[in-house]
Amino acid sequence: MEKIQKPKNNQIALYSILWSLLYATCMIVIKKFDPSKTLGIMISFIPAITFVLFINRFIKNINLMDEVERRIQLEAAVWAFSLGLLLLMTLGLLDLVVTLKKEYWGNISFIIPGFFVFYAIGIVISRRKYNQL
Amino acid sequence: MKNNIKVERAKKNWTQGDLAEKIGISRQSVNSIEIGKFIPSTVLALKMAKIFGASVESIFQLEKQD
Repeated sequence: MEKIQKPKNNQIALYSILWSLLYATCMIVIKKFDPSKTLGIMISFIPAITFVLFINRFIKNINLMDEVERRIQLEAAVWAFSLGLLLLMTLGLLDLVVTLKKEYWGNISFIIPGFFVFYAIGIVISRRKYNQL
Repeated sequence: MKNNIKVERAKKNWTQGDLAEKIGISRQSVNSIEIGKFIPSTVLALKMAKIFGASVESIFQLEKQD
Protein backbone atom coordinates (compact mmCIF):
# COMPACT_ATOMS: atom_id res chain seq x y z
CA MET A 1 0.00 0.00 0.00
CA GLU A 2 1.17 3.52 -0.78
CA LYS A 3 2.41 5.59 2.12
CA ILE A 4 0.42 8.69 2.95
CA GLN A 5 2.19 11.87 1.81
CA LYS A 6 1.22 14.83 3.91
CA PRO A 7 0.32 17.98 1.99
CA LYS A 8 2.86 20.78 2.57
CA ASN A 9 0.57 23.55 3.82
CA ASN A 10 3.47 25.64 5.16
CA GLN A 11 4.87 25.99 1.62
CA ILE A 12 1.49 27.15 0.33
CA ALA A 13 1.39 29.74 3.12
CA LEU A 14 4.91 30.88 2.24
CA TYR A 15 4.09 31.32 -1.47
CA SER A 16 0.81 33.09 -0.72
CA ILE A 17 2.62 35.51 1.62
CA LEU A 18 5.30 36.10 -1.04
CA TRP A 19 2.63 36.80 -3.64
CA SER A 20 0.70 39.16 -1.33
CA LEU A 21 3.86 41.04 -0.33
CA LEU A 22 5.02 41.43 -3.93
CA TYR A 23 1.53 42.54 -4.96
CA ALA A 24 1.42 45.16 -2.19
CA THR A 25 4.95 46.34 -3.04
CA CYS A 26 4.08 46.75 -6.73
CA MET A 27 0.94 48.68 -5.81
CA ILE A 28 2.90 51.02 -3.55
CA VAL A 29 5.59 51.55 -6.21
CA ILE A 30 2.99 52.36 -8.88
CA LYS A 31 1.04 54.73 -6.59
CA LYS A 32 3.99 56.50 -4.95
CA PHE A 33 6.54 56.75 -7.76
CA ASP A 34 4.15 57.24 -10.66
CA PRO A 35 6.26 55.33 -13.23
CA SER A 36 5.89 55.72 -16.99
CA LYS A 37 3.02 53.82 -18.62
CA THR A 38 5.31 51.12 -20.07
CA LEU A 39 7.16 50.61 -16.78
CA GLY A 40 3.84 50.61 -14.89
CA ILE A 41 2.48 47.87 -17.14
CA MET A 42 5.67 45.84 -16.64
CA ILE A 43 5.48 46.24 -12.85
CA SER A 44 1.80 45.19 -12.90
CA PHE A 45 2.79 41.80 -14.28
CA ILE A 46 5.54 41.09 -11.71
CA PRO A 47 3.19 39.60 -9.04
CA ALA A 48 2.03 37.11 -11.69
CA ILE A 49 5.38 35.30 -11.27
CA THR A 50 4.80 34.57 -7.58
CA PHE A 51 1.15 33.86 -8.30
CA VAL A 52 2.17 31.14 -10.78
CA LEU A 53 4.50 29.67 -8.12
CA PHE A 54 1.68 29.79 -5.57
CA ILE A 55 -0.83 28.08 -7.90
CA ASN A 56 1.78 25.51 -8.92
CA ARG A 57 2.42 24.61 -5.26
CA PHE A 58 -1.33 24.61 -4.52
CA ILE A 59 -2.06 22.15 -7.35
CA LYS A 60 0.90 19.94 -6.35
CA ASN A 61 -0.50 19.95 -2.82
CA ILE A 62 -3.92 18.88 -4.09
CA ASN A 63 -2.26 15.91 -5.80
CA LEU A 64 -0.92 14.84 -2.40
CA MET A 65 -4.38 14.88 -0.86
CA ASP A 66 -6.66 11.86 -0.63
CA GLU A 67 -9.79 11.69 -2.78
CA VAL A 68 -12.18 13.04 -0.13
CA GLU A 69 -9.98 16.07 0.51
CA ARG A 70 -9.63 16.61 -3.25
CA ARG A 71 -13.43 16.63 -3.58
CA ILE A 72 -13.67 19.16 -0.75
CA GLN A 73 -11.14 21.44 -2.46
CA LEU A 74 -12.92 21.11 -5.81
CA GLU A 75 -16.30 21.96 -4.31
CA ALA A 76 -14.80 24.90 -2.41
CA ALA A 77 -13.30 26.23 -5.66
CA VAL A 78 -16.68 25.87 -7.41
CA TRP A 79 -18.38 27.74 -4.55
CA ALA A 80 -15.75 30.51 -4.66
CA PHE A 81 -16.01 30.88 -8.44
CA SER A 82 -19.81 30.80 -8.51
CA LEU A 83 -20.29 33.22 -5.62
CA GLY A 84 -17.60 35.53 -7.05
CA LEU A 85 -19.32 35.51 -10.42
CA LEU A 86 -22.69 36.14 -8.77
CA LEU A 87 -21.25 39.08 -6.83
CA LEU A 88 -19.67 40.65 -9.93
CA MET A 89 -22.78 40.16 -12.07
CA THR A 90 -25.07 41.56 -9.36
CA LEU A 91 -22.79 44.57 -8.89
CA GLY A 92 -22.78 45.03 -12.67
CA LEU A 93 -26.57 45.20 -12.71
CA LEU A 94 -26.69 47.43 -9.63
CA ASP A 95 -24.21 49.80 -11.27
CA LEU A 96 -26.74 50.35 -14.05
CA VAL A 97 -29.36 51.43 -11.53
CA VAL A 98 -27.32 53.27 -8.90
CA THR A 99 -23.76 54.51 -9.36
CA LEU A 100 -21.64 52.43 -7.00
CA LYS A 101 -19.19 54.32 -4.82
CA LYS A 102 -15.63 53.97 -6.11
CA GLU A 103 -14.34 53.63 -2.52
CA TYR A 104 -16.50 50.57 -1.87
CA TRP A 105 -18.38 48.26 -4.24
CA GLY A 106 -17.28 50.10 -7.35
CA ASN A 107 -13.64 49.35 -6.49
CA ILE A 108 -12.14 46.03 -7.62
CA SER A 109 -9.67 45.92 -4.67
CA PHE A 110 -12.70 45.96 -2.35
CA ILE A 111 -14.22 42.97 -4.14
CA ILE A 112 -11.12 40.72 -4.46
CA PRO A 113 -10.98 39.73 -0.74
CA GLY A 114 -14.53 38.47 -1.24
CA PHE A 115 -13.17 35.62 -3.36
CA PHE A 116 -11.03 34.39 -0.46
CA VAL A 117 -14.05 34.63 1.84
CA PHE A 118 -16.13 32.67 -0.70
CA TYR A 119 -13.42 29.99 -0.86
CA ALA A 120 -13.47 29.73 2.95
CA ILE A 121 -17.29 29.50 2.86
CA GLY A 122 -16.98 26.74 0.26
CA ILE A 123 -14.52 24.81 2.43
CA VAL A 124 -16.89 25.01 5.42
CA ILE A 125 -19.94 23.92 3.37
CA SER A 126 -18.06 21.04 1.77
CA ARG A 127 -16.46 19.87 5.04
CA ARG A 128 -19.88 19.84 6.68
CA LYS A 129 -21.26 17.84 3.75
CA TYR A 130 -18.60 15.16 4.23
CA ASN A 131 -18.84 15.30 8.01
CA GLN A 132 -15.34 16.67 8.47
CA LEU A 133 -16.21 19.60 10.71
CA MET B 1 -24.57 2.57 -1.15
CA LYS B 2 -24.03 0.95 2.23
CA ASN B 3 -20.85 -0.54 3.59
CA ASN B 4 -19.53 -2.83 6.30
CA ILE B 5 -16.32 -0.98 7.01
CA LYS B 6 -17.16 -0.54 10.69
CA VAL B 7 -17.84 -4.27 11.07
CA GLU B 8 -14.67 -5.22 9.23
CA ARG B 9 -12.67 -2.79 11.35
CA ALA B 10 -14.15 -4.24 14.51
CA LYS B 11 -13.19 -7.76 13.39
CA LYS B 12 -9.58 -6.62 13.06
CA ASN B 13 -9.80 -4.41 16.14
CA TRP B 14 -8.63 -1.41 14.12
CA THR B 15 -9.46 2.22 14.77
CA GLN B 16 -10.35 4.56 11.91
CA GLY B 17 -6.83 5.95 12.25
CA ASP B 18 -5.31 2.47 11.85
CA LEU B 19 -7.29 1.83 8.68
CA ALA B 20 -6.50 5.30 7.35
CA GLU B 21 -2.78 4.70 7.78
CA LYS B 22 -2.92 1.33 6.07
CA ILE B 23 -4.71 2.58 2.96
CA GLY B 24 -3.00 5.97 2.75
CA ILE B 25 -5.86 8.38 3.46
CA SER B 26 -6.75 10.62 6.40
CA ARG B 27 -8.80 9.46 9.40
CA GLN B 28 -11.46 12.03 8.56
CA SER B 29 -11.75 10.56 5.06
CA VAL B 30 -12.20 7.05 6.51
CA ASN B 31 -14.98 8.49 8.66
CA SER B 32 -16.69 10.14 5.63
CA ILE B 33 -16.61 6.84 3.73
CA GLU B 34 -17.67 4.73 6.71
CA ILE B 35 -20.78 6.80 7.41
CA GLY B 36 -21.68 6.82 3.72
CA LYS B 37 -21.10 10.51 3.08
CA PHE B 38 -18.52 9.78 0.39
CA ILE B 39 -18.46 6.95 -2.14
CA PRO B 40 -14.84 5.85 -2.64
CA SER B 41 -13.23 5.27 -6.01
CA THR B 42 -12.76 1.71 -7.33
CA VAL B 43 -9.06 1.88 -6.45
CA LEU B 44 -9.76 2.84 -2.85
CA ALA B 45 -12.52 0.24 -2.54
CA LEU B 46 -10.12 -2.42 -3.83
CA LYS B 47 -7.44 -1.27 -1.39
CA MET B 48 -9.91 -1.58 1.47
CA ALA B 49 -10.99 -5.03 0.34
CA LYS B 50 -7.37 -6.15 0.10
CA ILE B 51 -6.46 -4.84 3.52
CA PHE B 52 -9.52 -6.53 5.08
CA GLY B 53 -8.89 -9.74 3.14
CA ALA B 54 -12.44 -9.63 1.78
CA SER B 55 -14.16 -9.01 -1.55
CA VAL B 56 -15.31 -5.53 -2.55
CA GLU B 57 -18.90 -6.79 -2.77
CA SER B 58 -18.82 -7.98 0.82
CA ILE B 59 -17.75 -4.51 2.01
CA PHE B 60 -19.82 -2.32 -0.32
CA GLN B 61 -23.39 -3.13 -1.32
CA LEU B 62 -25.79 -1.27 -3.58
CA GLU B 63 -29.09 -0.16 -2.11
CA LYS B 64 -32.48 -0.03 -3.83
CA GLN B 65 -32.16 3.64 -4.70
CA ASP B 66 -28.67 3.19 -6.28
